[in-house]
Amino acid sequence: MDILTTIIQNLANGLLIGGVYALIGVGLSLIFGVMRVINFAHGDFVVIGMYSALVIYRQLSLDPYLSLLIALPLGFLLGLVLERIILSPLVDAPEDSTLLATLGLALILQNTLLLIFGAEPNSLYVSYATATIKLGPITLSLIQLIAGAVILVVIIGLYLFLTRSEAGKAVRATAQNRLGAELIGINTLAIHSLVFGFGMVLAIAAGIILIPQLFATPAITGPVFTLKAFVVTVLGGLGNIWGAIGGGLLLGVVEVLGASYISNSYRDAYGLVAFLLVLLLRPEGLFGKTVKRV
Amino acid sequence: MPEVLEAEGIVVRFGGLVAVNNVSLRVQSGQILGLIGPNGAGKTTLFNALTGYAPLHKGRVSLLRRDVSRLAPYARIRRGMGRTFQIERPFEELTVLENVLVPAFLNTSNRREAEALAWQSLEKVGLADRARQPSADLNLARRRRLELAKALAVKPQILFLDEVMAGLNPPALKEMVTFVRGLSSEGLAIVMVEHIMRVIIELAEHVIVLAFGEKIAEGSPEEVTSDPTVIEAYLGGSDD
Amino acid sequence: MSKFTGLAIFLAVGILFPLLLPGYLSLAITLLLFASWASAWDVLGGWAGQSSLGHAAFVGLGAYTIALSATRFDLAPWWAVLIGMGLAAALAWAWGSLTFGLRGPYFTLSTIAVAEILRLIAINERWLTGGAQGIFIFSLREPFGLDLFDRQTQYYLALAYTVIVIRIIIGFAKGKFGYQMRAVREDEASAQAAGINPTRVKLQAFMISGALTALGGAIYGVFLSFLEPHDIFFLPLSVQIALTAIIGGRGTIWGPTIGAVLLVFSAELFRNIFAQANLLIYGVLILVVILFMPRGLMGQLEHRIIRRRYARSTRS
Ligand SMILES: Nc1ncnc2c1ncn2[C@@H]1O[C@H](COP(=O)(O)OP(=O)(O)OP(=O)(O)O)[C@@H](O)[C@H]1O
Ligand SMILES: [Mg+2]
Repeated sequence: MDILTTIIQNLANGLLIGGVYALIGVGLSLIFGVMRVINFAHGDFVVIGMYSALVIYRQLSLDPYLSLLIALPLGFLLGLVLERIILSPLVDAPEDSTLLATLGLALILQNTLLLIFGAEPNSLYVSYATATIKLGPITLSLIQLIAGAVILVVIIGLYLFLTRSEAGKAVRATAQNRLGAELIGINTLAIHSLVFGFGMVLAIAAGIILIPQLFATPAITGPVFTLKAFVVTVLGGLGNIWGAIGGGLLLGVVEVLGASYISNSYRDAYGLVAFLLVLLLRPEGLFGKTVKRV
Repeated sequence: MPEVLEAEGIVVRFGGLVAVNNVSLRVQSGQILGLIGPNGAGKTTLFNALTGYAPLHKGRVSLLRRDVSRLAPYARIRRGMGRTFQIERPFEELTVLENVLVPAFLNTSNRREAEALAWQSLEKVGLADRARQPSADLNLARRRRLELAKALAVKPQILFLDEVMAGLNPPALKEMVTFVRGLSSEGLAIVMVEHIMRVIIELAEHVIVLAFGEKIAEGSPEEVTSDPTVIEAYLGGSDD
Repeated sequence: MSKFTGLAIFLAVGILFPLLLPGYLSLAITLLLFASWASAWDVLGGWAGQSSLGHAAFVGLGAYTIALSATRFDLAPWWAVLIGMGLAAALAWAWGSLTFGLRGPYFTLSTIAVAEILRLIAINERWLTGGAQGIFIFSLREPFGLDLFDRQTQYYLALAYTVIVIRIIIGFAKGKFGYQMRAVREDEASAQAAGINPTRVKLQAFMISGALTALGGAIYGVFLSFLEPHDIFFLPLSVQIALTAIIGGRGTIWGPTIGAVLLVFSAELFRNIFAQANLLIYGVLILVVILFMPRGLMGQLEHRIIRRRYARSTRS
């Protein structure tokens, strides 16, 4: 019975962490699916979210979850602008070029944050940080539950946008076939900017709900989350947006279970090993039906 | 005449689509085999199956009496096949001469010898004056000739030409016809896909007609062009 | 002008440098190491066209092999170097055999994962590597009476290393192997039509690239004489190596070296202004290069020269 409880507890923790990974991975996968860009700056977008919550908290004493309301629209604009400057000139360049361009962007973001905020780790303390909720035998942390709720809202919003709205349909058409979308009158360049803006929004949301839970440093946290995002999207299938949700949850669970039952010091390795195995054996991802080799 | 290529019961599938169905053919040295058929008939796919670029679902390919069905494309090339691509594929960042050097290095590791061989190939196809030009800058007719020069530089026993005449103007076309005839009189076996019927009639001794992946007719150019099933296939193919 | 003229001049300047500017030895060693690492990276990334973002794994392998063989096994440094290169080639072979089926970005992603896994092993397998605290190289045998801890000796070793790497690249640049790699990079199907086995060529390139990088890793290990897995295996080093080559010009003989000169000097210049944020310059330069001169500095120059030469030949 006790063993069962710890397993359930671990699963619950894994899913809650995995939800954040899913949020990050969905954005990366959306960007790849529509733009064919592997965004090396994605983890740094998450860090931008973290530091924006910090700045808003310090300047306006606003609760991090309320700062979403300010940070998300600004992040969307930032995404649009970055896409216009850096990626839209490369729309017909080889895949390699956009990968390198986002790598350059990542270095610029990391080092700019480093110049502004310094290298010390930062976190944001909220008064309810240690509050927990008991659900039968298992205990869940309040901020993780809030995070889960935010993720649900954001992902359902994205789902409704992509399936119900005209713009969302245009996004999906562009993802399927850019040339075809052009032919039926869709401005695919505008769609690219829109999608990059959305990717930024999702990453920033993830950063904001994470910052009460961990310490962030500009040049380290970014690459860590970029790697996690790659793992998540490869598990789910690069470009498969809904697969990324599964990939994120799976990574969270694998990390927590691996850490408690195999070895905690290899926590970060489990995802990487899974990532390599999936790349080699099932490059279309665990949840994809169609083989889309790029 | 020695048999250079023999293919039996070739079947290629892409998922549910049978792109080539049970096609057999043989080619001797010095012979030109013409392969015709409407768009999408499976001609390029058959080429790919013979040269190793498309997976064989069934069938057997032998080159100089040796079974090569399981060999990768590069290994078949090393045993004596040479091929062009219907949509030309030059090494864009290399000059014309360097493009031909690449296959020439198959015959020697010595740069000077390889270069001599590359020049020979370029002279044969009439591109020697363009040798130092970046290949990305060539026009269509010259890109075709570059494809040919590359295929020749491996010193093949059998040459697969996929629509090397398409889009050429009349003088260039005439030159190319003379050139291909010259190659075959030197003893090279040639399989050529061509849409221009006049070229096929002029060059090929033997013609195979494909439609929807099947061999629907075979014979001399005259026999084939007067065959009602062939005419039917072309007319049927042209109104969809 | 022979094809080795440039290298001879480079060697001559390199030999004289410590006499002229003895105060800058450490900077010069860093520069030479980055020039050679970037050149070695370029064998795979530029010539054969497979971008790796995991080359720190080879640096780490070379450095750790010499450190461990000195401190644990009392093995002579030259044996350690050979073993390190052998291990690197073996790793490249295994890694490439598994991943060269993957196209483009998938290969690049896999290189990051492999290097990260090696880093985690270096951190966690304390019995072997000393773990996260790192490992000191406190004594080394003296081959031919050379004190390997002497900066000047290290400088000349680094110079010899750079010359060897560039000599190797000049050796194949205009020959069969050079053209095989370029053909594979441009178009694998077309390379096959020229009788080239792309997988084999890529594996050879990867093994040469990995072994040469590990050789520099060994020199780096001695130069630092203290290895920390966080520094030596970490993604930023892989990124620096790759970007140095790309900014300088992929698939050119001198591009990676020129990239190293540019980047090491500017990082040094900006060190006072930007402190730890010295990778900012890499980010800015790679963006400029990708957006405005995708072939890199030397690549763009060579491209122009070829065009101009052809244009002139048609006029006369
Ligand atoms: N790699 C592939 N995957 C799926 N289907 C393919 C593939 N290659 C060819 N096909 C299909 O196989 C059929 C035969 O194509 P193929 O290119 O061989 O025709 P073709 O006779 O060469 O036509 P054309 O005269 O237009 O060159 C076509 O229906 C084509 O769409
Ligand atoms: Mg065809």
